Amino acid sequence: MDDRRGRFEAQVLPHLDAAYRYARWLTRSSNDADDVVQEATLRAYRSFEDLRGADGKAWLLTIVRNCHLTAARQRQRRNLMPLPEADDEQAGELIAGTPDPQTLAIQRDELRTLQRLLAALHEEHREVLVLREIEEMDYRQIAAVTNLPIGTVMSRLARARAALRTRWLQETQGECNGLR
Amino acid sequence: MGCAESLQLQAYFDGEVDPAAAGAIERHLETCVECRALLQDLHALRTLLREQAVPIGIPADLRGRIMASLDEESRTAVAPRGRPSAPLRRSRPFWIGVISGVGGGALAAALALLVLAPMLKGSLVTSLVADHTRSLMSSHLIDVVSTDQHTVKPWFAGRVELSPAVADFAPQGYRLLGGRVDEVQHSNAAVVVYQHGKHVINVFSWVIGRGGLPQDVTRNGYHLAFWQDGNLAYCAVSDTGWPELHELVGLLQGIK
Repeated sequence: MDDRRGRFEAQVLPHLDAAYRYARWLTRSSNDADDVVQEATLRAYRSFEDLRGADGKAWLLTIVRNCHLTAARQRQRRNLMPLPEADDEQAGELIAGTPDPQTLAIQRDELRTLQRLLAALHEEHREVLVLREIEEMDYRQIAAVTNLPIGTVMSRLARARAALRTRWLQETQGECNGLR
Repeated sequence: MGCAESLQLQAYFDGEVDPAAAGAIERHLETCVECRALLQDLHALRTLLREQAVPIGIPADLRGRIMASLDEESRTAVAPRGRPSAPLRRSRPFWIGVISGVGGGALAAALALLVLAPMLKGSLVTSLVADHTRSLMSSHLIDVVSTDQHTVKPWFAGRVELSPAVADFAPQGYRLLGGRVDEVQHSNAAVVVYQHGKHVINVFSWVIGRGGLPQDVTRNGYHLAFWQDGNLAYCAVSDTGWPELHELVGLLQGIK
């Protein structure tokens, strides 16, 4: 194995799990996440010189995010007529938030509540929460990945937490009322 | 409790405040029921998220596919005629052959300048963007905090071998925050820091070297505006829009 490949494996590949998790939460689909992570890793390898000893995790996740945005734009352009079955099946893995109570009751058994609520958050809220709470990145790293000023990261994080908390309270209180 | 306080509490919860500020927040928590409740909620949500969000790792088959694509990529990169997208800089630069064949020192120097000058400019942009982001991310944004040009300008004397243009443009919307010393291409640079709205603008200045300055450029979402005054090179870096950045450049160029 050549030296460049070796350095790439040491500095970047340890963050493949994080890249995959982030891609899953961004795309909310395992197929799309596969494509995004594969494309992102290859792009990272091609432009490995740009990393220059900086934060490998934040760098890889930035590329994941860019790949996701590009792919999402392409899908949007292509799928003016979406294929509902295929898409819904995919989305059902992580998305919920449909108001139909029966569907909700079924999904509640299948998916852990908070995970479902997180998946239903707006993308810009979801991603900062995932980066902070699940990937345990600090504000600086989140700002680097999302290409936002730190102040915006802070306010988005606060709004995301408030939104999740509100939904969580609605959900749990709803269950309590149901028991009475 | 105001919004600003809840942001502060959140920063405390996330471990993003310095010890002094943490002490102040802890004292406030002793008396404020509302903030204590908010902090508890933050803890509860974090615990739930970390427990409930599936700790998925990358599936083994996907990892295998990725490794295979890297193998493929490595092979094409080493091969003399790789695909256009493969990194080409691993192969021997063509001009080495040209130079060794001709053996002309002058030609070598001329070619080296042609080849190196754009590379130097590229690395200049990269290092300025890195300096700018690092300054935003660390507490090393400002060494001397002052909105008074008569404090900031003398502060640079004795620290750097140059005296940059400094003025407070608060009336025009560009507040002087202070200055710091940074490094640009291995020499000391004076950095004057301005605030425009929510944006920070770093104005780098250094004694100009050989090779000239790059054109204005956008890199990683940051705009970089370059100009020269005598033997001093200037670069203003920010995530503001171009018009806002150029307005400050105009103001700085107007200082006499």
